[in-house]
Amino acid sequence: MTEKPKLAVYWAASCGGCEIAVANLHEKILDLDAALDFMFCPCLLDTKKKDIEALPDKAIAVTLFNGALRTEENVEMANLLRRKSQLLIAFGSCAKGGCIPALANLSTKEDLLSSVYIDNFSVDNPSGITPSGTTSFPEGDIHLPALLERVKHLVQEVDVDYYIPGCPPESHQIWNVIEVILSGDLPPKGSTIGCGNLTVCDDCDRTKEEKRITAFRRNYEFYPEPKVCLLEQGMLCMGIATRNGCGAPCTKANMPCTGCYGAPEGVSDQGAKMVAALGSIMDIGDTTGLSESEIAGRVDSFLATIPDYAGQFYKYTLASSTLGGRVGR
Amino acid sequence: MKIGIYFCNCGSNISDKISAEAVTEAVLSFPEHPYVTIIGFICSEDGKAEFEESLKRERPDRVVVAACSPRDHESTFRRCMANAGLNPYLMQMVNIREQIAWVTEEPAIATEKAIRAIRGAFFRVRLQEPLEKKQLETCPDALVIGAGPAGMKAALSLAEAGRSVVLVERTPFIGGLPVRFEELFPALECAPCMLEPLMGDLLHGDYAERIELMTMSELVEVTGFYGNFIAKIRQKPRHVSLHDCIGCGECVEACPATSMNEFNSNASLRKAIDFAFAGVLPNAPFLMEEICVRSRGEECRACKDSCPMGEDVINLEEVETIVERRVGSIILATGAGLYDASRVAGIGMGTLPDVYDALQFERMLSSTGPTGGEILTKGGNAPASVAIIHCVGSLDEAHIPYCSGICCQYAFKFNHLIMAKNPETRITHYHRELVLPGKEAQTLYHHAAHNKNSRMKRYDGIKDLKITQDDNGGLNVNAKGEASPVDMVILCPAVIPAEGAGTLSSKLDVSCDSFGFFRELHGRMDAAQSTIKGVYLAGSCQEPMDIRTAMLEGMATVGYTLAGLQPGRMIEIEPISAEVDETHCSGCHLCISVCPYRAISFDTERNVSSINAVLCHGCGTCVAACPSGAITGHHFTNAQIMAEMEGVLK
Repeated sequence: MTEKPKLAVYWAASCGGCEIAVANLHEKILDLDAALDFMFCPCLLDTKKKDIEALPDKAIAVTLFNGALRTEENVEMANLLRRKSQLLIAFGSCAKGGCIPALANLSTKEDLLSSVYIDNFSVDNPSGITPSGTTSFPEGDIHLPALLERVKHLVQEVDVDYYIPGCPPESHQIWNVIEVILSGDLPPKGSTIGCGNLTVCDDCDRTKEEKRITAFRRNYEFYPEPKVCLLEQGMLCMGIATRNGCGAPCTKANMPCTGCYGAPEGVSDQGAKMVAALGSIMDIGDTTGLSESEIAGRVDSFLATIPDYAGQFYKYTLASSTLGGRVGR
Repeated sequence: MKIGIYFCNCGSNISDKISAEAVTEAVLSFPEHPYVTIIGFICSEDGKAEFEESLKRERPDRVVVAACSPRDHESTFRRCMANAGLNPYLMQMVNIREQIAWVTEEPAIATEKAIRAIRGAFFRVRLQEPLEKKQLETCPDALVIGAGPAGMKAALSLAEAGRSVVLVERTPFIGGLPVRFEELFPALECAPCMLEPLMGDLLHGDYAERIELMTMSELVEVTGFYGNFIAKIRQKPRHVSLHDCIGCGECVEACPATSMNEFNSNASLRKAIDFAFAGVLPNAPFLMEEICVRSRGEECRACKDSCPMGEDVINLEEVETIVERRVGSIILATGAGLYDASRVAGIGMGTLPDVYDALQFERMLSSTGPTGGEILTKGGNAPASVAIIHCVGSLDEAHIPYCSGICCQYAFKFNHLIMAKNPETRITHYHRELVLPGKEAQTLYHHAAHNKNSRMKRYDGIKDLKITQDDNGGLNVNAKGEASPVDMVILCPAVIPAEGAGTLSSKLDVSCDSFGFFRELHGRMDAAQSTIKGVYLAGSCQEPMDIRTAMLEGMATVGYTLAGLQPGRMIEIEPISAEVDETHCSGCHLCISVCPYRAISFDTERNVSSINAVLCHGCGTCVAACPSGAITGHHFTNAQIMAEMEGVLK
């Protein structure tokens, strides 16, 4: 009997949702186990780092690497798994574009550490100790991985073969990817897989009409019409600028798409694209005869209905965006 | 890929600041070694010949021309490309004159900038694709909406030029507002007399056959685009054949039903079948169904039986019809109306007797009007004193912020006409501003100003004026604490768009400004063009204007129609347009409202947007807006733009 190809699922700076998505394969996980040797997953299995280090290079057929790179340990594991894997797949939005952890790039590392460990009501830290590599105590040294200056996504550190989007990736799409890998019929290196090549609008069965938006409303403010495009109702739905394949579960539940599948095929910056699109359909009324400052005032009051630019437009892609970290609000 | 770079010295315009030798040296290090040719003036006859000869000899795959602004000579150099057998869109121009040589002090820096700009163009042009202009058959005929001065002028002139015209008019008659007036500023011509030759030619002249006049009609829907519009027009029943009626009026005599006549500002009676007013053209009555006793279920054929021209002239059974016409262009000439002066508090409009707005007073002055041209108060006497109030609702943020620009002139016309009839009448003009532009307007003003019985009083805001009625029924104008008794008040309200302009604008997708006037493509350069290609604006539907300007605008729309659409000539469609990649369109509809030219429609069957290349101007708005990156701007693709930027920044 030939040995089954090895599968690893690793988490870096992540929440564990990607592992839950794998577990959500339900009975399919038995098929997965039949086809692959699921040998490394710190969340579910007891394999240790030293076991991986002991493997020959390229011994792992596929690694699904989720999470962003926040610490030196994350970087170390990314490099280790790259070396040991034939296919390294950026799995989920954190590994693909930085996702929530990368919103930390709006602040400096020093500010972050200060907020969490020093300037904080619930912390008593008179000697101002922060986790930064090795810290000495009378009882001995403590080693904690230091934070990087900025959060990275996987390809900013190592070579990546494929990307699977989603926060987390939908389980049926994970299975699709497993099937493609097992078939050996792989797309060109660098492709985004486990998704569609259109936008969420194609998955969403609400009716779409022409769009003019006078102000945005948040979902606690009203009950949206069940069959009408949420964006047209004034919800800031990112579906128009988000890759499809998820099946639009959010809009089906009356919630606007937050954009977790990232930029559509051919679009390099999801947030910028969304801003360009909204700028085109923003309706500030007839401006004939208005002064520049009056027009600017109308634009400002429109923009005031968007409370958090970075969190809205770059929730999943700030690390990979053209902006990097510089968003005003 | 062989690339030719042509450097124009533009005499010394460019060569004074930018060294052709340094540019040549730098360019030779570009990938694949492009060749460089330096020419003194590429745009001169010799220069063009040299350019074309060189292109024929070298047969480059792509060409960069470093010279002046593309606004100057891009089309010149594209023609050279075509003459040399190359696709014109495989050339990229770099503006090293206006953008570099003329605005850079230091020659070394100018040369460095020029090298960078040329490098950008070099990397961009490699990605440029050959594009072909498309040709399209068009319909040269026009639809004119509104048969006032502007619309009539346009319709007749187009007919004279051999075009078929559909002239749609909402009322039962032609001539618009001024045909209801007696005399016109500035020269006191009789309005119906002045318009009569035009109206006569329109109805019965040598070219009348080419004009299909539809009275009592309205546009229902327009589909299609420039050169190929399909217009649906609803024709309400007139019940009287314009073709067979001789206008004798026998039916009017016979008709038993009466009502107020709206065309005389409801100041006289009319029969159910009647003329709009005396002397109206077309010279035929029309039947108002809501007045006719038949609308109450009574049997009546009095009109039909009285007609001396036979059974077929009056058709009591006639019903509304919808007809369809194919036209190449649409001229909007729907005119203007007056701001409802009853919305201005305290001036008595609609509540006090002998307070009239300008249109009501025009009808009173008219010999075809309710008083036969006599100026009479409700009591039947000539007024001894009249107040003429200018700027009613105008220059007022609470009402209409703009100045209509024509009211002062007709107000002084009123002064003159009142004085001509009753020289002892005392007239007071209450005005906020006096606006009398042009070489002819001052005559009537001076006439009033030098009249011993006329006075001018300036007021600050309409709130400072009150028209009141005393216990004896007499009117008083109260201004600045002073009450002046008057017998009659004439209000000159702001000029506003005619009723229905808003509906028409949504049917045609022609945008309106905040006042409801149709928005021009450009307020100075293209004031007679709307924002929709092939839809033109004539007369006061675009802004308040006098008859002279309306007629001129009518002619301007004729110019656009004749210049753009010619029988047998195809229109060329610029290939720099946007295109939807249907495999990437998710059907979000976002692009549709973004397009300023209404060029994008939605294919509901395939759930994708599609762009009509005829209507597309290649502005790129949809390209930027498309959130799924499914729209490409030909000649301005993302890859081309990125390559140009990278070339410049390298």
